[in-house]
Amino acid sequence: MSAAAIELKDLNKSFGLARIIRGVDLSIGRGERHAIIGPNGAGKSTLFNLITGKYRPSSGSVHLAGTDISRLNPYQINRMGLSRSFQITNIFPKMTVFENIRCGLLYSMGYKYSFWHLVDRQPKLTERADEILEQINLTDRRHLIAGVLTYAEQRALEIGITIAGGADIVMLDEPTAGMSASETDYIVDLIRQVTEGKTLVIVEHDMGVVFNLADRISVLVYGEIIESDAPEKVRASEKVQEAYLGVAEEEAD
Amino acid sequence: MSAVSDAEAARRGKSGLFSLAKTAPWFIAAVLLICLPLVFNSGAGFTVMNQMAITIIFALAYNMLLGQGGMLSFGHAVYMGLGGFFCVHLMNMVEYDGLMLPLPLLPLFGGLFGLLFAFIIGSFSTRRAGTVFAMISLGVGELIASLSIIVVAFFGGEEGVSGDRTMGPEVAGFDFAQQSEVYYLTAAWLFISALAMFLYSRTPIGRISNAVRDNEERAEFLGYSQRYVRWISFCASGFFAGIAGGLFAINFEILTEENLNLATSGSILLITFLGGVGFFLGPVIGAIVFTLLQTVLSLYTEIWALYVGLLFVLTVMFFPSGLAGVIAIHVRPWQLGKIGLLAAPYLKMIVPAALFVFSCAAVLEILFHARHAALGEEEMWLYGLTINSQGVWPLTIAIAIAVVSLIILKRLAPSLKEAWDEANHQETGS
Amino acid sequence: MSLLAVNLLDGLVTGLLLFMLCSGLTLIFSMMGVLNFAHASFYMLGAYFAYQISTYVGFWPGLIIAPVAVGIAGALIERYGLRRVHQYGHVPELIFTFGLALLIEEVVQFFWGKSHMAYYEPEVFKFAAFSIAGNAFPAYKVFMIFVAIAIFLVLLYILTRTRVGLIIQAALSYPATVQNLGHNVPLVFMGVFGVGTAMAGLAGVIAGPVLGTFPGMAVVLGSIVFVTIVIGGLGSLWGALIASLLIGWMQTFAASYNVTMADILMAVGIDKPVDLSDNALRDLWTLTLPQIGPILPYLLMVLVLVIRPRGLLGKRET
Repeated sequence: MSAAAIELKDLNKSFGLARIIRGVDLSIGRGERHAIIGPNGAGKSTLFNLITGKYRPSSGSVHLAGTDISRLNPYQINRMGLSRSFQITNIFPKMTVFENIRCGLLYSMGYKYSFWHLVDRQPKLTERADEILEQINLTDRRHLIAGVLTYAEQRALEIGITIAGGADIVMLDEPTAGMSASETDYIVDLIRQVTEGKTLVIVEHDMGVVFNLADRISVLVYGEIIESDAPEKVRASEKVQEAYLGVAEEEAD
Repeated sequence: MSAVSDAEAARRGKSGLFSLAKTAPWFIAAVLLICLPLVFNSGAGFTVMNQMAITIIFALAYNMLLGQGGMLSFGHAVYMGLGGFFCVHLMNMVEYDGLMLPLPLLPLFGGLFGLLFAFIIGSFSTRRAGTVFAMISLGVGELIASLSIIVVAFFGGEEGVSGDRTMGPEVAGFDFAQQSEVYYLTAAWLFISALAMFLYSRTPIGRISNAVRDNEERAEFLGYSQRYVRWISFCASGFFAGIAGGLFAINFEILTEENLNLATSGSILLITFLGGVGFFLGPVIGAIVFTLLQTVLSLYTEIWALYVGLLFVLTVMFFPSGLAGVIAIHVRPWQLGKIGLLAAPYLKMIVPAALFVFSCAAVLEILFHARHAALGEEEMWLYGLTINSQGVWPLTIAIAIAVVSLIILKRLAPSLKEAWDEANHQETGS
Repeated sequence: MSLLAVNLLDGLVTGLLLFMLCSGLTLIFSMMGVLNFAHASFYMLGAYFAYQISTYVGFWPGLIIAPVAVGIAGALIERYGLRRVHQYGHVPELIFTFGLALLIEEVVQFFWGKSHMAYYEPEVFKFAAFSIAGNAFPAYKVFMIFVAIAIFLVLLYILTRTRVGLIIQAALSYPATVQNLGHNVPLVFMGVFGVGTAMAGLAGVIAGPVLGTFPGMAVVLGSIVFVTIVIGGLGSLWGALIASLLIGWMQTFAASYNVTMADILMAVGIDKPVDLSDNALRDLWTLTLPQIGPILPYLLMVLVLVIRPRGLLGKRET
């Protein structure tokens, strides 16, 4: 069966009277690099939280590789191979960098809720965690407490935790928010490198990042997807220009 | 952090479990436990040591919740108490029904009963952490404590239930009538439990329970159900609390409502927090200091609980990482080889600080005596002096000493701060 | 029928008293996120202060001065104690208020000793307001009902008709918004803590003569107060009111109807074993309703938590 990696069917979400997500249909193919853009308050983060199980949809459904996950808890969805990062840096600030990564590995490496393994005595676990540290260039920060890292390093660590579990679908919520241009380039390269061959879904404000990374872009405005196409077509779309890019330019003035 | 200490840490991280650095503390602890009775071999000595050992196990178990799992419980005495009650009943079955259960194994059953109840109650109480968990633990604790007065068949009502530990089969010639035998039994269980709890904190579930404490949402998105993680920690903690209960049953041979109520649950929180929840050794330090404080202070003063209460509130306000935290902040100056810098200011401050504490205590003691001594009884005995508590002078002098020593302390504070900064400062380029 | 009426009134007194404590606690919790474990201790302080004042100038001045004094003490503790601990998070705050409860009990014993205080209702109330079929209902309890209802109405007025009330209401529904209001948050916190503890103090002033003024009075009521707000739903004032009344009535009725478990079991058709002395279930047979009265609130709490985890009217999942 070649079901899409993620499929949203007539997804709706309301908070009280406010309809934040209004009938979203979207299909994201396997191995696709998909970006969701839209003006502030369009519902991007809500959509993100609906897919990852943080919120339950008011109606409609979310499918992961053909399976309906709209009623599952985050940890169950994670075990099915979907992993996410957060808009606000979300790491374990009191643990060391190494331990942060190791926590990301434990479940997927089969340790689950074990109380009969000693984590320090698992060579494969340590090896794998060190490999990931190498990938995200934090090897020399290995023994630091994560809370003292610089902002960019913490974002890199968060991406490391997100990919550690080996999920096929990686969802990143504004990974470059609040970063300088050079930091942004660094993180974009990192993302490209660590999500090689995986399905990537990214919410991002920085258009440079979006057009650089994505194969396909969906534009979310007021809870509806008004366009979903290849980057150059989205850029050319009048509808998008009108509804979103125009707004963005006004904002920029 | 320096490159030097990083490399040091890396080296330590890679050395195995059975490295000298890791096993030495346990070896020393074992030797200490074996040798202590050679020093304190009086009856009172054994009583205090046994109580300390039981409290240490209970406090370590409690810290699996509070320190490692981030769950604040106001009702943890329940699991220790229930484990203890079951053990007394087992002892009675050994005595009357011919159950062949050697006494040294009894605490294990206490642990299993603690585990069972933690499993049942945890099924709904661990759904959420924080305030809600705290309130549920309080409610359940009060429920079981009040039930214990009503359900006479099991809890023995107001008198509690009692047993006799010596009626079981002899083990290697021991019948556990002697306090020293009970001590070694308790010490052995202390060693095993502490080691098991330490190793538990190094297992995947132990690490993840820290992760859930720090950031439950992130842990959920790593494939872990925060609820199950808390539930498992809760069960493990209930198990070790039950072991402490079993040892309590063996030591005191009686359990009452007191072992279940809020006062007991509260004091284990106090002990653990005083010692320091962020460190494995914290609860151990807390249990030792608290038992000593309780034993010694209550000999000298009626208002010892007031002092303990004050100490606790001040600890929460000024040293939230507890006594172990106070020790831990000296590790860095020690590693930098600058601990000596602190000696002089500490020595300078120790006299006024002691004066301040003792004169404040004197003020409280005099006031208390003046208010509560029997009518006409005006003389009191304080620090080896006989003074008139109704008189103006003793109180005035005590207050004067307190004020003067406080002023001296304030004067000395900047020099301590300076020495402190210097001791924690690392020269660049070294 | 007459006993029913008396019990309804007695339960109302207990329930309203509970509500005076719960409302302050809920207010503090909603605004500050702190569950004040020492809340019942402030209630105790109220009773002791009022007693001390009554020995000098009588009951009536104490009714005003004692709650104010308790409120000031509460505000000072918030300013110099709680605010310091606030930076460490909610669990340390809860531990702090727990320590405070221990300390206040010790301080009370330090000043007033362990025995009951001779704190009584004023002479004017020493008569029966009315009697229902031979059961006299003391005038003082009528007075208590009126004070509690007056406090409730004042609270309702403040909450629905004043600016401060609107802020508090916003905080009740959306705790996170308080920080964004641009008001002087530390001052609001201090005020809320002061007012909340003063209400507990007032409850202590009027309850002291009836329930007794002794060092254990905080512990007796403390746990029940927490159980009540958990049942009502953390942060819900109406939930607290309903739960307070429910528990007030439940306890009063349980205490006055001497139904034994044996009656119930036999009514269901289970025969009583002849020899109970060695039966493991013997307690089940001898239990009476007044005996299990004190544990009913806790049972109710467990039941509510299992069936409806957020409490009766709670909006937040607990």
